[in-house]
Amino acid sequence: MDLLLQRVFDGLFNGAIYASLAIAIVVIYRATGILNFAQGEMATLSAYTGYLFVAPASPALAGVGLISFLPGLPWPVPVAMAVAVAFGCAMGALVERLLIRPMEGGSELSVVNISIGLLIVINATMAELWGTIARRFPSPFPEESDDFLAVFGARLRYQSVGVWLTVLVALGLLGLFLHRSKIGLAFRGITSNRSSAQLCGVRVGRVLMIGWAVAAGLGALAAALSSGVVFLEPSLMIRVLIYAFAAATIGGLDSPLGAVVGGIIVGLTQSLIPGYIGFVPTELSLLPPLIAMFIVLLVKPTGLFGTTLVERV
Amino acid sequence: MTAPSNAERPSRDDASQGQLPLDPLEQDDHPALTGSHRNWPAWGRWLFAGALIAVAALLVVLPALVDSLALRRYASLIVLSLGVLGIVVATGHAGLISLGHGAFVGLGAFAMGWFLDSRGLPFILAVVATFCFCAVVGFLLGIPALRIKGIYLALVTLGIAVVFPSLAKRFPSITGGTTGRPVETTMEPPSWTGLGPEHAVTVRYYFCVAVCILLFIGTRNVLIGRMGRAMQAVRDDEAAAATFGVNLIRVKAGAFGLSAGLAGTAGALQAVLFPFVSHQQFDVFLSFRLYAAAVLGGVGYLIGAVYGVLALILVPSLNDAMGSAFGADEGLLKNDVIVFGIGLIALTFISSDGAAGLTRRLSQRFFGSEELQ
Repeated sequence: MDLLLQRVFDGLFNGAIYASLAIAIVVIYRATGILNFAQGEMATLSAYTGYLFVAPASPALAGVGLISFLPGLPWPVPVAMAVAVAFGCAMGALVERLLIRPMEGGSELSVVNISIGLLIVINATMAELWGTIARRFPSPFPEESDDFLAVFGARLRYQSVGVWLTVLVALGLLGLFLHRSKIGLAFRGITSNRSSAQLCGVRVGRVLMIGWAVAAGLGALAAALSSGVVFLEPSLMIRVLIYAFAAATIGGLDSPLGAVVGGIIVGLTQSLIPGYIGFVPTELSLLPPLIAMFIVLLVKPTGLFGTTLVERV
Repeated sequence: MTAPSNAERPSRDDASQGQLPLDPLEQDDHPALTGSHRNWPAWGRWLFAGALIAVAALLVVLPALVDSLALRRYASLIVLSLGVLGIVVATGHAGLISLGHGAFVGLGAFAMGWFLDSRGLPFILAVVATFCFCAVVGFLLGIPALRIKGIYLALVTLGIAVVFPSLAKRFPSITGGTTGRPVETTMEPPSWTGLGPEHAVTVRYYFCVAVCILLFIGTRNVLIGRMGRAMQAVRDDEAAAATFGVNLIRVKAGAFGLSAGLAGTAGALQAVLFPFVSHQQFDVFLSFRLYAAAVLGGVGYLIGAVYGVLALILVPSLNDAMGSAFGADEGLLKNDVIVFGIGLIALTFISSDGAAGLTRRLSQRFFGSEELQ
């Protein structure tokens, strides 16, 4: 029983990370129909940038001595996280403006090429700058070995609770942004009907740029939070990206609620299935979500919460 | 007949009316496919034939030019042209975007090791068996592509590429688990040649090049024939193709099967060249490299696979050369894959149909054969 509960806690923790990246993917997909394969790498690069501000003073450990002139390093962890998110936002906006917007109306293949190219470039740049050594992004939450709440013999770590709360707050802010702000309204207008929104005077390009910024910021938050638990390395998010895509697909690629539910489902399968099905060792935990994604795409491509698209032939 | 509007790819309809389509996916018959250079002037045809002969001659004399270590390195890249060719077939001709061909290369390498060591097949039969095995796996994986389309297929194949190394580790008797395993059966010079074992690399090189050339010719024949035209029809408009009696399952799954078989053969030949297989060789970045090489070479053209593999060969060599020019022990970049990433992005802005499309347009300008359109 306590082992089951422990696995559920672990699964929910991972699920929170997957859900945030999945929402980043969904927000962009809903508005533009683009699946951004570079979402994970953009997030990792943001986490590295934030890491610079909390890294040990030695350049050998920080990897890059770029900012060793800054006073008083390391800075408090929440500040570094804010830097990561801000950097993510800026990068998202730049990517939209410089790489995605010129491709407007292009073929599916060109968008795939751009995002795969971006994935490769960012990944290789990180490997070049920081090497492949795993680093640890300090956690803003208590993380000593006795910082946990005992629930029926299982350990509910303060850190997990902190990550859940952070993700929930971020999602709440996203919801407020989308439903209570003028830009959010414009963004939803573009999502529902792009040309009508444009005719109503919405500046589509600028609003989409903000949408990409928000999505990339959310991804950066996910990467910074998760690199406090697993280690920060250039390929940190490649696997997480697949989990997040699986979560988004299961929940329905155009539904933010679906992304959250999908993220929790994927997180739980990841921690529960290797525990109870002998064939699947922990390192193969990517397989069940992948198969689930495959089946969903085959049987119900709209996912659990997606809207059915009526196609006119 | 009016083309049915395609909600997923609205650009297609816009581009097909109006100006010259530059996207390779828009083009129905170009010389790379129809094999027709008859619109070229005589000297253009001679030039083309001369280039082909020069490439063939270079392939023949390469063992005399470089030492065996470099030869093996070049050969292992030359055989990857089959993987690139697989992407040209699937993505360029059948419109099935695949980011997972590295997994098929790996599958082929492991299968080859198994056919050689556990089944004791001779090399030629083992290559054929590997091709068939990978083609069947690709065919079966291609059936879902009937429903999973476009960018979703890219997503699924990316997932396959990411999961493949960990999946391979799960079968240690075939793949050698975490450390990999040597292939016990190695190709040595046959006795009738009278060559000693020191020429093993040369013999393996010629074997691999011969298999590659055969498969290139075979693939060209498939692409210019009935099957190739059906693939293009499906790529351009599925509904219209089905209306004209094209069997969608056969064409899509068949194209994916052929493509996987080609990629698998690349892996099989790598296992011949370097008799050691390990899951680490077949990570997701191999898939990215193959995809980038295909797109850079020109994914809509058979010859694009040749240009693509030239990129695979030239980029590491240039990297090493520049590194030693700057006095470093290794290449200028620790990981040259970044060049392919930059290339992918830059290419999308410059010319969406890669080096092959670029040379084709240049040749059109010089040979003035507008009637090609």
